[in-house]
Amino acid sequence: MHAAETMEDLEQADRAPAAVEMREITRSFAGRRALAGVSLAVRPGEIHALLGPNGAGKTTLLRVLGGLIEPDSGSVRVLGTDATQNTRAQRRAVGLVPSGDRSFYLRISGLENLRFFARLHGLGAGAAKQRALDVLAAVELEHVAGVPVGEYSHGMQKRLSVARALLTDSRILLVDEATHDLDPHAARVVRELVQRLARDGAAVLWATQRIDEIRGLAENVTVLRAGEVAYSGSVVRLGGRVRVQRHVLRLQHRRTLEAPPLATVRALLGSLGSVEPAQDDPELVVLTLADAATLGAALATLIAEEIDILSCREVQSEIEEAFVQLTGA
Amino acid sequence: MTALLHAAPRGVLFLRAELGKLGAFLRRDFLIAWSYRLAFVSEWAGLALQAVTFYFVGKMIDPSVLPAYGGSPATYMEFVAIGIAMTAFVQLALSRVGHGLRGEQVQGTLESLLMTPTSPTTIQLGTVFYDVLYIPLRTAVFLVLVGLAFGLDFHTDGFVPALVVLFAFIPFVWGLGVANAGFLLTFRRGGGAAALLFTMLALFSGAFFPLDLLPGWLQGAAELNPIAIAIEGMREPLLGGTGWEGVGSDLLVLLPLSIVSLAAGLLVFRAALRRERRRGSLGLY
Repeated sequence: MHAAETMEDLEQADRAPAAVEMREITRSFAGRRALAGVSLAVRPGEIHALLGPNGAGKTTLLRVLGGLIEPDSGSVRVLGTDATQNTRAQRRAVGLVPSGDRSFYLRISGLENLRFFARLHGLGAGAAKQRALDVLAAVELEHVAGVPVGEYSHGMQKRLSVARALLTDSRILLVDEATHDLDPHAARVVRELVQRLARDGAAVLWATQRIDEIRGLAENVTVLRAGEVAYSGSVVRLGGRVRVQRHVLRLQHRRTLEAPPLATVRALLGSLGSVEPAQDDPELVVLTLADAATLGAALATLIAEEIDILSCREVQSEIEEAFVQLTGA
Repeated sequence: MTALLHAAPRGVLFLRAELGKLGAFLRRDFLIAWSYRLAFVSEWAGLALQAVTFYFVGKMIDPSVLPAYGGSPATYMEFVAIGIAMTAFVQLALSRVGHGLRGEQVQGTLESLLMTPTSPTTIQLGTVFYDVLYIPLRTAVFLVLVGLAFGLDFHTDGFVPALVVLFAFIPFVWGLGVANAGFLLTFRRGGGAAALLFTMLALFSGAFFPLDLLPGWLQGAAELNPIAIAIEGMREPLLGGTGWEGVGSDLLVLLPLSIVSLAAGLLVFRAALRRERRRGSLGLY
């Protein structure tokens, strides 16, 4: 999401040069293609989602951007400079939240870990300690600052990873599956922290395989399938690519206040679609629209016959549908 | 000229910043070592037990077969204490320097380190900085304690020349260790080669028995062994009281060897790092 609040800010953000720009990146490992002609751009203040199933090439792409892997071909520019140079200035600007737990020294405390990495980012001893304490508070870990990281839960270690990225106000943040196995609260904390960084102008590349995560978080998305770009554009447009045909409904007859018989609903809908009982709840029915029918027409038909719609949701969101269609996952 | 004037302070600032980072590595590794207190104690206990073993072995050995230093004969315990200290130093340094970055790779912290704006040389040095300081200190303390415990007759005025030999020898071992780190980074399981190299160098170093006992042809080769040169360079001032006179020729040989070893080691290591980055296998172990 853009940090911009006004139209003027939005226009400025749109004009801003990309903080990260990849063109036609290819990379293979022992003959196995991991990335094939991938291009993408992320502007300052933007959260760009990188969506794809396992093995699609998301982590490889982040590692290329982080200077940990050299691409076989193509160009990568970070803040306008060639990223394959892997200069100190580039490393200073890029923060990585890795997907695994194994990126800290488990025998020493969270505070000591952060102090160490802050020193490596060039902060003096005193400033490093203060900064470490500040970011620990920002990720709500100040109460375990002195506890060895080996005793942290998985979620706490993930928050510590985010804290490390916060140490230096990274202008580019690479986030790899940051919340995939966190509880809802911890996941929200991580998302909010990253959104705050983006509001402050950081360009964020957020790799995930969880479709629900990108809605409301990212503005643009690149969908990867077997190392290739299957889709690149706005999240809204991704959802608009597909037509959701299956919906779960909870129905109630206005007079009897009971769920109407399935046969009645089928007869009323006729050629608009078919209904089946939902597997997990007998009170629910799954409506599958016919190709030419619309959800509005189907629901209006039921309401006209005194059948109220108590709830209606998509079986899969339009983004999920698009993801499945694009990646075959 | 103007460019030079601008470049110098930047270089100095960079150097200062990188040196500051070594302090961070030192603090980190001290805290990690301190968290393994039992290992810390057992390491010292093991060394003490080794010294006791050689004390009793020494009782069976005729001192007349041992070389004289500064014209005065040495006991076997005096002779071997320096050998034990130096071989333990080489073994520990080779292993720890070699495994420093490998440890980061296995722990999963190597990529986090390489993502920071720190030069690869600083990272390499940083990962072993604690050991580079601790191991010579441990060697010196061991010699003092063994000297006191077994009543060994070390010449006190030989301590400083002996320490200078030790410090001149550090870059040689460090270079081997760094090269070993490069091999480990590349081959993952190259530790066996380093262990074999150490065993061969230690066997023909005169640490545990005089080189005179070796066959003639092997004796000539062993005298070129840098570990043998360093050990003899320490025995001369400590056992013979030869002061600076006894170490001059050893230092003349050791210093160039150390420079070449360290430079070659760093080159091997940087090449290994570049290769891993190209292959994209830095995080694999």
